[in-house]
Amino acid sequence: MSPPDLELQLRRIITRGRVLVSPAQLAGYAADGLGYKNYPPDAVVIPADAEELAHFMRCAAGLGVPVCLRGAGTSLSGGPVAAQGGVIVHTSGLRSVRTVCPEGFWCEVECGVALNALDDVLKPHGLFYPPDPSSGPVCTLGGNIATNAGGAHCFRYGVTSNYVLGVEVVLLDGRVRRFGGPAGGRGPWREDWKRFMIGSEGTLGAFTRFWLRLLPLPEKVWTFRATYPDLRTVEAAIHALVAHASFPAAIELLDPRGVAMVESSQMACGLPKGSFMLLTEIDGPGVLVDARVSAVAEILRGAGSNDVVFSDEEAMRQKLWKARKAAGGLLGQLSPDYVVQDAVIPKRALAEVLQLVYDESDAAGLRAVNVFHAGDGNLHPNFLFDSRVPGELEKVELISKRLMQRVVEVGGTLSGEHGIGNDKAAYMPMIFGPDEIRLQLAVPAVFNPTHQLNPLKVFTGRRFAA
Amino acid sequence: MKPQPSIARPEESPDYFSNCTHCGFCLAVCPTYKLTGDENNSPRGRLRLWSEEAAGRLPRDPWTDHYTSECVGCLACEPACPATVPYGEIFERVRHEHVAARRATPALSLRLAAAAVAHPALFGAALLPARVLRRAGFNMHRFLFPGRPAVIESTSAYVKKLMARQRPTGPRVAFLTGCLMEAMFREINFATVRVLVENNVRVVIPEDQGCCGAFQSHTGLEGAEALAEKNRRAFGPLEVDAVVSNSSGCGYALGKALQGHHRVRDVLDFLGDLRPVRRVRASGDPTRIYVDLPCHLVHGQKLSGIPANVLDATGFRWELAPRAKDCCGSGGVYNLQKPENARAILAEKSAFLNAAAGDPVVLATSNHVCMMQWHSAGATGLVTRPYKVKHVIQLLDPGEEFSPVPVQTTP
Repeated sequence: MSPPDLELQLRRIITRGRVLVSPAQLAGYAADGLGYKNYPPDAVVIPADAEELAHFMRCAAGLGVPVCLRGAGTSLSGGPVAAQGGVIVHTSGLRSVRTVCPEGFWCEVECGVALNALDDVLKPHGLFYPPDPSSGPVCTLGGNIATNAGGAHCFRYGVTSNYVLGVEVVLLDGRVRRFGGPAGGRGPWREDWKRFMIGSEGTLGAFTRFWLRLLPLPEKVWTFRATYPDLRTVEAAIHALVAHASFPAAIELLDPRGVAMVESSQMACGLPKGSFMLLTEIDGPGVLVDARVSAVAEILRGAGSNDVVFSDEEAMRQKLWKARKAAGGLLGQLSPDYVVQDAVIPKRALAEVLQLVYDESDAAGLRAVNVFHAGDGNLHPNFLFDSRVPGELEKVELISKRLMQRVVEVGGTLSGEHGIGNDKAAYMPMIFGPDEIRLQLAVPAVFNPTHQLNPLKVFTGRRFAA
Repeated sequence: MKPQPSIARPEESPDYFSNCTHCGFCLAVCPTYKLTGDENNSPRGRLRLWSEEAAGRLPRDPWTDHYTSECVGCLACEPACPATVPYGEIFERVRHEHVAARRATPALSLRLAAAAVAHPALFGAALLPARVLRRAGFNMHRFLFPGRPAVIESTSAYVKKLMARQRPTGPRVAFLTGCLMEAMFREINFATVRVLVENNVRVVIPEDQGCCGAFQSHTGLEGAEALAEKNRRAFGPLEVDAVVSNSSGCGYALGKALQGHHRVRDVLDFLGDLRPVRRVRASGDPTRIYVDLPCHLVHGQKLSGIPANVLDATGFRWELAPRAKDCCGSGGVYNLQKPENARAILAEKSAFLNAAAGDPVVLATSNHVCMMQWHSAGATGLVTRPYKVKHVIQLLDPGEEFSPVPVQTTP
C-alpha cells in the first residue's frame, strides 16, 4: 500500500485518536530504549481508547502492512519497533485503572497504565503489585506483560507471570478474547491460555486490559548494603543469603567497575575502591522482619564484609539504594550509547561469566559495567560505546554473541526480563534446536499466521508477506 | 523535500544532543506527553527531532516546529533524566532559533509586551490605568487575581521609606522588583519588602535593574542577553549577602544572568534560613492553605520546595497541593500561546480544590504567573467553589503597621 493510501485508510479507521505520518512525527517512534537502532515506521496510530484499538485490529488485515504494539517504548530489546516497517500502535490512550478490588486482592487495568502510576493508586488500599522493573515510573503494564518483566524484588516475589490473572486480547480477526479474568487461574478456559500471552512480545494479539493479582504492602522493610573485596567473598554472601530462611526480597550487585563509576561521579557515596557492592532487603510483618535483621547482618559479615550498613528508616534506605539506582543513569552520562545484556546464568557460573565480560571488553577497548540481579543470576553487563564511531557497535555485537555462547554453555538463557525483541532474535538458535523452534512457532501460526503482528521479533524468520 | 539549513550543533559541544540515551524516563513527567500520548510531544521525542534535523537526517518540517512550540518549558524532565541532559538549555536555544528563522512567530501582543518590559519605567507607566482598576476591584481578565497595588508609589520609594522607619541591621539583600510584578502586582512586592524588613533584613533596590529576561526566554524573542548584561551592571558591583526574588521564574532567569556574580535566591528560601517571625492566627482558624510549588522553583532553581518553617510561620494550617511539583500549565506565557493545553493541564491539577477541606481555602504559591493561572481556574469555571490565590509571602505579611523593633533576629 502506498503511503498516501495507507494514511487515508488509517484516518478512516482512527477517527477519535491520532494518526501520524509525517517523517518528523515518525522519527521518535523509530527506536525503543535502544536509541541507536532505528526502524522508522510508515505510520503511527494512537487509538483514543480500547474500543478504537479493537476497531483498528478488525481493519488491520486489510491494511496489508506489519502492525507493532508499543507502550512507553522503554524496551531494551528492540521489541516495539517497526523492524519491517508498517504501523506502530501506541497504546498511550489506554491509561485507566478500571477497578481495584481490595477484598479480592486484584485490580483491572488498561494496557497503557504506567507501572508506578498503578502503585500510586494501590497504596491507599494498602496493596501493591510486586514486579518492579527499574523503568517503573514510565513503562506500561502492556509492555511488562508482553515481555514478562522482572525487577529487583522478583528474587522473592517472582516475575510478572505470577501476578497476571487474566488478559484481554484483540486478535487479528478483530475478536476480543479473554484468557482468565479476576477469578484467576484458567477462567473459562480448560488450559491456562493466558500463559501463552504473557511474554509473547506482541506476536499473538493486541492486549487491551489485564486482571492483576495484588499483595498487601509489606509492613516493614530493612535494607542492607555491604561491600566485599573480591568476587569470592561476595559470591559466598549471595549463596548464604539465597539459602537462608530469611528469604530476602532482593539481592543486587554492583561490580568494582560500577562502584568506580559511581564514586567518580556526583552521586559518590563513599564505597571502597575496587569493591563489590551488595544490596539486599527483607520485608514482611514488623516483628517477624525485625527478628531476622541480626541474622542477615551476620551472614553479610560472615562472608567477608567489614562494611555492613542497614536501616529500616525510609531516608536511610533510599541512601543505601542510591549507588544501585544511580548506576543506570550514570552510564548515559559516561557514554553516548550502551547495550545492556540480560542473560540469566546458574549462580555457580557467576565468576566465570563475569571474567569473560571483563576479558572481552578489555580486549576490544570498550568499557563494561555490571549492575545486576544477583539473587536470581540475572546478569546485566552494560557495554559502553559510541554508535557514531565506525566499528564500535560491531565490536559490542561480537562480544555479546560470545557472551551468549558462554551463557548457553554454562546452562543459562538469553533473557531474564527484557525480552528477545529483534536484538536477541539471532541468538535463539543457540539455545533452541530446530524442533523446539518449530513448536514455538506453532503458537503464532494459530494466532498470527501471516506474522503481520510484530514481524522479525523473537524469531528472525518471522517475516510478514502481504 | 530537500533538506534545508536548520539547527546547527553548537561547535563548542559536538555532543550537544547525544547525551540522551532514549531511556524514556522523561515521558512520565512531561505534561504534554500526558496530555496527548504522542511520543513526539515528550522531551525524548523533541530531542530526537532536533538532533535528527541537526544531523541532516530529517528535513525541516512544520511538525518539528509544532512539537517544539508545544513544550511548556516546565523542566520536570530535567530531574527525571538519569543522563542529566540539559533539556532546558537546549530547548531555549532551539526556541530562539525557531523564532529567528520565523519557524515560530509569537503573537504581536507578546512581541509588544517583550519590547515594553525591556523598559520598566515605561511599562510601569503604561499599566498605571490597570493598577487603578485593579485597586478599585475591577479585574477584567481571567488571569487578574484581586489585589490592591499602590498606584503611584514604587516599591523602590516604599523601601526607602520603610528602611528609614525600621532601620533593620541584619543581612543585606538586593531585591529584583520585576516588570509585571511591579507594574501590575505591586502589592506582592510591598508585602515582600515588609516581611524582609520585619525579619531585620536590609533591602536595597538597584534603580537601573531591568527585566530578568524570562519573558524573552519564554517567547524565544531576542533581547535576553542585553537584559542579562544590564542586570549584571545593576547587581554585579553591589555588596550584598544575596540577590532575592519573589518570583521563582524571574529568580531562575536572573540567577542564570548573574552567574559568577551573585547567588540569586528565592525570597522564601532565604527567609527559611532566618527563622522568620511567625504570624499568630485565632485559634481554630478554619483557613486551609494548599501550597503549590512552581516548576521554576523546584526544577529550575532545583530547590526541594518552600521551607516548612516559612510555611509554618504563616500561622495557618497548610499542606502541599496534590502533585505539587507538577506544572499548572502557566509556563510563563504558555497559557497565552497554547490556551487549550494550558487549560487541560490546569483542569487536572485544580480538580482537587472543588472538594478540598477548609473554609476559606487558599491556594498559595510563589510565582505571579502561576498565581494568574490558578486564579483562572475559578474565573473560567474549572473550580466552582470559592477560593483565594495568594503568594506565600502575603501570608507572612505583618501589614502596614508592624512592630518597629525586629522581634527575632538570630540567624
